[in-house]
This record gives sequence, C-alpha cells and structure tokens, in this order.
Amino acid sequence: MPMAERALPAPFRRAPGAAVALVVLVAIFAASSGGRFLSVGNLVSLSSQVALLLLVALPMTFVVLTEGLDLSVGALMGLAGVVAATAMLGGWGVPGALLAALGTGLVLGAVNGALIAWGGMPAFVVTLGTMGLAEGLALAVTDGEPVSGFGDAPRLAWQAMIGPVPLPVAVAAALYALLHLLLYRTPFGAHVVAVGGNREALRLAGIRGRAVHAAVYVLSASCAALAAFLLVGRTNAAHPTVALGVEFDAIVAVVLGGTSFERGQGWLFGTVLGAAAIGVLRNGLNVLAVDPSLQVVAVGLLAILALVAGNRRGGRART
Amino acid sequence: MNGPAPLMALRGVGKSFPGVRALDGVDLEVFAGEVHVILGQNGAGKSTLIRILGGACRPDEGHVEADGRRVAFASPAMAARMGVAVIHQELTAVPHLDLARNIFLGREAAFRNRLGLLDLGAMRAAARRALDAVGLRADVRTEAAALDVAGQQLLEIAKALSQDSRVLVMDEPTASLSVPEAERLFAIIRRLRGEGHGIVYISHRMPEVKALGDRITVMRDGRRVALLRRGEAGADALVAMMVGRAVALSRPPAQTPGAVLLEAEGLSAPGIADASIRLRAGEVVGLAGLVGSGRTELLRALFGAERGAGAVRLGGRPLPADPVRAAAAGLGLVPEDRKRQGLALGRPVRDNLLSASFRRLARRGVAWPARLEREARSLVSRLSIRTAGTGVRVGTLSGGNQQKCVFGRWLSAEARILLLDEPTRGVDVAAKAEIHATIRARAGSGCAVLLVSSELPELIHLCDRAYVLRDGRIVGELAGAALTEAAVLRLAVAQEAQAHAHG
Repeated sequence: MPMAERALPAPFRRAPGAAVALVVLVAIFAASSGGRFLSVGNLVSLSSQVALLLLVALPMTFVVLTEGLDLSVGALMGLAGVVAATAMLGGWGVPGALLAALGTGLVLGAVNGALIAWGGMPAFVVTLGTMGLAEGLALAVTDGEPVSGFGDAPRLAWQAMIGPVPLPVAVAAALYALLHLLLYRTPFGAHVVAVGGNREALRLAGIRGRAVHAAVYVLSASCAALAAFLLVGRTNAAHPTVALGVEFDAIVAVVLGGTSFERGQGWLFGTVLGAAAIGVLRNGLNVLAVDPSLQVVAVGLLAILALVAGNRRGGRART
Repeated sequence: MNGPAPLMALRGVGKSFPGVRALDGVDLEVFAGEVHVILGQNGAGKSTLIRILGGACRPDEGHVEADGRRVAFASPAMAARMGVAVIHQELTAVPHLDLARNIFLGREAAFRNRLGLLDLGAMRAAARRALDAVGLRADVRTEAAALDVAGQQLLEIAKALSQDSRVLVMDEPTASLSVPEAERLFAIIRRLRGEGHGIVYISHRMPEVKALGDRITVMRDGRRVALLRRGEAGADALVAMMVGRAVALSRPPAQTPGAVLLEAEGLSAPGIADASIRLRAGEVVGLAGLVGSGRTELLRALFGAERGAGAVRLGGRPLPADPVRAAAAGLGLVPEDRKRQGLALGRPVRDNLLSASFRRLARRGVAWPARLEREARSLVSRLSIRTAGTGVRVGTLSGGNQQKCVFGRWLSAEARILLLDEPTRGVDVAAKAEIHATIRARAGSGCAVLLVSSELPELIHLCDRAYVLRDGRIVGELAGAALTEAAVLRLAVAQEAQAHAHG
C-alpha cells in the first residue's frame, strides 16, 4: 500500500464514499438549514433514524461479505411489525410480541438461507421471492390497514432515553458491538469472509460453509425483525408496508462503507459511516423540506457514486 | 524397504471418472524422512493421486493406509487431522482475511479464550512462528490479497507446517517461486525430511527432482511405470519413461529480425518505472527477473491493462492504453494466472479458444456454428489440446491443456505480437516442448514474442534476446552469446539481499 494512502485516516482510506459524503453533507446542511439541522431535537431524531437503518445494514454487511444480498428485509419488517402488533392485541404482552416478531424473522431467514446455501439458488432471486411473500402476507393479514390500539409500550420504548442516548441508538450500538465481536473475534466471522472470498479454502479446512452461508441470512432477517419491533413504536402502529425500500438504503450503506460485492472484502465500521451518510442525507433533505420522492433520487445518486468509487478501488487491487 | 511401516501408503488404488480411467492399480509408499517425487505428464493421474492422498476424493478400488492401518478419509479436514497436508498449486488463501486467520482457518478453536472469543494475540504469535518457519517476512495482520503469488505459496506451506503434518504433499511448489525463494523452500524441505516428515513432491523440473528426490515414482496414463531410487535414472531416461518416447527440445534457429513492431519508451505503471523496449518481427524476446521484479506489470502495461506515463508505439503509431484496442491491433496477452484472468472456466473449450476471434470468423456479423467448430477443432489439433471435444468445459481440463487454450485464443485471433507470461508454468515436459515449438513457429511466421519465464534454461533456450528487470526497472539487455543463465542472474539479483522482501 503506498504511503500516501496509508497517511489518510482509516475512514477515507477504507470507506471513501461514506466518509466524503458524510463530511460534505453535514457541511452543506449545517450551513443551509439556519441551525435547524444541528438542533438537539433534530440530532436525536437523526440518530434514531440512523440506528434503525443500522439494525438492518449491519447484518446486511455479513450477507454482502458472502457475495450475497438480502432484498427481503424491508418487506419482512412490515410483516414482523404486523405480527408483533397482532400479538400485543392478542394479549401476548411486550416480550411475547418481541418473540413473535423475532420468530417471524427467524423462519423467513431460514427459508432464505436454506434455498441459497443448500439449494444453490442466487440470493437475488430467492430474497426477491421472499420479499414478495412477506409483503403479500402482511397486506393479506391487515387488508392494507395499519394495526394499532395495543397500548403505549412500543411508543415509550422508541422514545425512551438511556441517559442521554435514545433507546434505538443504544440497541444499535449494542448490536454493533456484538456483530463486531462476531465478525472479527470469532471463527464464524472468519468463515463468513471465507464464504465470499474462497469457498474452496473453507471446504479444504473442513468447515461447513453452507451452514455459515445460511446463518448470515438468518442473522439478517432476525435483526430486521428486531428493527420492525422498534419501528412500530415510532407511530405506535404497525403499517404493513412501512419499511419497503429499507433494503435499498441498507445495501447502499454497506457499499458506501467500503464493503465490496466480491471476494469477501469489507469493513463493518464502514457500514456505520455509510448508514450515517444516508441518514444525514434523508434527514437534511427533510429539514430543508425537499420532496420525499427526490430524497429517493438523492440516495440513488449516492449509491451510484459509491459504486463508482468502489469500482475504482477494485480496479487497482492487483499489484 | 522393509522395517518401519510407511507413514502413508496407497495400495492398488483405482479411480475412474466418466470416460476416464484416472488411476489404475497404483501403489505408493511414503516413509518418514524421505522426499518421494512423483513425475508424470498432464493426465498421468497425479492430480487424482493428490486428491486421494489429501482426502478430497475416495478411491474406487484399493485403499489408503496410515501407519500401516487402513483408513478412509472422508474429507480433506479428516486427512489433515491424520497428519496429511496438501499444498495445492492453485492457491487457497482467502484474499481478505489476514494471514493469521488464513493460517488457522478451520482451526480457530485452539485460540478461543474463556469468553469463546479469539485470542488474537496468541493466534498472531503462532502465525508469526509459522511464517518464520518458511521465511515469509510479512505482518500477520495484512490481508492475504496483499501477498504476491510467491508469498501466497509460502503462506500455504506455513499453513501446512502449522498443522504438525507428518506427510506433506506439494504440488509443484516452485512453479511460481524465484530462484532464491525456491532455494529457501528446498532448505525447508530438507529440514522437514531431517525431522522425520514424509514429503510427496510433484514437479516437472529435473534439477529439483535430482536435488531433492530420495525416491521417484513415474506415472503414465494412470499407472505407475517405475519406482526408482535416487540416481537410478538420469533426466533423459526419466523423461522417456514419462512420455513413452524421446522428446526433442526445440532449438532457436539463427534469425534475422525484421522491422520493429512494438516499441515502448519511458513506460511507467504500478510496479514498473521508465521501461523502454523494442520488439521486432520474427523475434522471441525474453523478459527475465525475479518474481516481483515487474515482469507481469510490464506485460500488462504494454497491453494497456495498466499504464501510467510513457508511450507505446505499434508500427510507429501510438497505441493507447486500452486492452480492447490493443487486442484489435494484434496484441495478445497470455496471463500468468490463467484461472483468474485468462479463461472462463465454466465455458466450453470452443468459446474460450474463439473469444478473441469471433469478429474475424464472423461473416457479415454472423458467426456460423459450423465455421466456429471447424476453427476450434483445428486449434485443438494444432496445439494437441487433450479434451473429449470442443464442447467440454475448460475448467475440467488439466492445467497444461488449459494453458494451451489461452494460447490457442491468440493463435486464432492471429495476434502479431504475443505477450506470454509464464506460458509453460505447471505444464508437463511434452506439452512444454509443443508450446516451445509453437512459440518459435509464430516468430518464424513474422510475429514478435515477448516471453516472461522464471525458468532460466527455458528463457535462454527460446529467446534471441532478453531484457532483465530488477525492482521494476530494466537493468540490462542481453543477446546472442552474451545471453547466458549466469549473466541474467547476475543482473537480476544484484542488491537482491537488501531490496527483496514480501508484504
């Protein structure tokens, strides 16, 4: 690695897309919003938004490291939220509702993982299928109407502060810590990288690569279900289609964060930077009252910029 | 050899694949403290033998013994636990894992602390010891992708040694090593032999066979045709046993080179600086230097795959840095890493052979299948590619035949300037001679050839002239009588001790 690159701080070296976007966007919004962007209230809301995205994007990093992707998480969040709300209406209580949501994620993740790892089917096709399945189920169960009337517990959880930290942020931080240890300090983490980088090496080492491969989809879906539970608290209602498109933001966050779709190259902390960049972009455009449709355009542009930056890096990989 | 039981043995092992009898009643014994060389052409059954030894596949007939007891390896991991490690020629590193995690892939449990987390300190210390044992000086925290091919090979060996393997199976370990690196490896092999390891060593290089082999098994067509002790047969006799006939090596006829076809001036790119070279029609020009000296990079820069400053001229006209235009202008690059850069392994032989010449073969934009098939068949027979047909997937062919396919592509494209990177790496003696003959024939028909080879005898033998690279710079040009192994080595290794390091 040339000296010039080594001298750069890690974020600019390993996740240039996210780092540059973050700096530029924060500067633009801070300067143009007349103090509204940097107000305490907005920062709390921004951090909760980023936290929610991270609950999906962090496990998505594992999926992308295996040269896969999980398109089903957004639709699953709708379904898991509806399941949780229905469970609460049915008197299961908050813990029961959480377990019901996680169970939904577990099942869908297991289906994804089994079809991809053992069935040998492309992740794109499988998760596109389960995406439709989850979305359809959620709509069928609710007739497209939000489920509500289950009390205040989810809203209180969403708004709870642990010291100065909003609960969703604390949950995301805890998940980051957990997944960081999982990726970098356990055999499983090394095997995830190997599934994407060199499956033959894994086979020769006597590892059940398929189980590892399937596990990342279970992880992804379970975390999405957890996010769905928190999301129900934001409006204190479970909307069946509320999270459609989250998979898009999550995948963009992962790619912005310097994780490549090829050969198991990636960086978990980069995903935090990527999610922050997307959160800042969406929140800042909100503060400036930009049309929501144009926000999607902006995230799309950011994604393309990230891919361009990623390609340039990839092109120089061989020495 | 009576007395102690062999560390490992194959007894009457047979293995068939659809349409191929890969092994037929093969016996092999590996004793503690010996280097057992296996010689054989492509398709002689060496790869299958390695797979059976390493637990990657099971024999149809016969059985495997370890310490005199019958065993059945269900997997490579089980073979590893029984003390058999295979160092594959195709590298098995995970590119974006660090060296420590690569070495202990699948064996991380040994480094778990009370919390079940990896004790990275202990793992890295152990990895450092493993790398020291093979003399690979690299930070164990760097990713394997940062190592060059030679470094990754040493990593493989370090990995095997760290498993306390008693039997090491090495598949052409020196194929991508420079001379000093190979010497270092031989020292390691001799030390391991002294420590009571048994080493199965597959190589095509006669000097190595002579220097290392305590016993030699010669294979042909899936059978063992000879088992010899050190010194029982000379190189010529061994080659004759492998091929079943005498092979004449090609001799470069005296050539009067023609016009300058390709010319580079002050060419710079990642890994090379200020390189100027000239290729004339009818010439075979060598590019010598140690692994990592910038040979591959120079070829790629000429082809336009990667180029910084400097100019390349083709027949006097500037050639832009664009591989597509280079190919259209008559340049052909045969890369070193054929699996990664040269071939679409899942595609048939035919597609791989013709992928650069569809345009030439097409008539008014339509490439007729019959015409393609005819061309592909003609290439298969001209290059003696051993395949069941042109529709067979390239990935199923042996290494030498894959290499011939890459070569055939540029023959078919009628490339006038061939850039060849280690075209005979991992190729058996007979195929090597065929490739040599093809190279000379191309030059004879007015092409210019630039040849990178780590095998100096090959380079000296084939080339009219050679440039020598060191640390990315051309440090000399040798031609005619001045082109000798000693002269090339002197130029290539000067300051080597200070300058050459991995990582």
